[in-house]
Amino acid sequence: MTKGVKICLAVVGVVFAVSAVLTFIFLHSTGKDTENGSVWVEIVQDNKVLYKLDLSAEEDRTFRVEASDGGWNDITIKDHQISVSDADCPDHTCVKNGILRYEYLPIICLPHKLIVRFCDGGGA
Amino acid sequence: MSTKRLAELSMLTAAALIVFIVELRFPDIIPIPGVKLGLANIFTVYAVYRFKAKEVFLMVLTRVILGSVFSSNLSALLYSFAGAMACLAGMLLLRRIIPIRYIWLCSIVGAMLHNTGQMIVAVAVMRSPAVLPFYPILLTAGCIAGAFTGICARLILRRHIQDE
Repeated sequence: MTKGVKICLAVVGVVFAVSAVLTFIFLHSTGKDTENGSVWVEIVQDNKVLYKLDLSAEEDRTFRVEASDGGWNDITIKDHQISVSDADCPDHTCVKNGILRYEYLPIICLPHKLIVRFCDGGGA
Repeated sequence: MSTKRLAELSMLTAAALIVFIVELRFPDIIPIPGVKLGLANIFTVYAVYRFKAKEVFLMVLTRVILGSVFSSNLSALLYSFAGAMACLAGMLLLRRIIPIRYIWLCSIVGAMLHNTGQMIVAVAVMRSPAVLPFYPILLTAGCIAGAFTGICARLILRRHIQDE
């Protein structure tokens, strides 16, 4: 084993260890609750906050978010949980993502530049 | 480029595309965008250790463009292109340092660079760092997938060398 291989091996090992730990942390950070029981989420498109909702106070409903290129995402709120239920993009990654669960991992629709994530409360 | 070499590269590209399309049919193991096995990369890793840089580049470019056409997912072209180019550049440099015996290591670094390239494009497109928490997840998955494709490439190379 040459020196170059050893260096590569060490770099790969460190990167793998760090990302495995971060992955573990992110996948164990489920949605946050504020002290008064409200759960705030925001729907961001193209870096602009379109909606800011308190999930604990929302009725079950489905609404459509239009993208600037004519595409759309249907967002469903059910039993105080939010998900993207349908979209007209080819990959449907955001739909497969399911319900928004993790604090650090938002639901993302890359083609429509849409982000659904937990946020801090106040100022609806 | 000789006709033989051209035929060889075309065959590999076609095989990579078939594997790519078959893999699209696999159900998602983890519902996180970008996490996949990347079996088509077996052919890239193999080609990196067999052919000249320019030839591998042509092969990968063809596969990425045709792959996104066949999967009718043109919006993903930018991401796969950035990922594939970062991966290829890294592996072409590393093939001087890493001997063929450790090809899996080269493949892992390639997979990580692929994820890095995709991530950079994703952050640029979204103009927001909101996608960054997915990066360590992609890296972890990329490491495992890269080791797997690397070992597969090693098996093919071993067979090929025996045949000659």
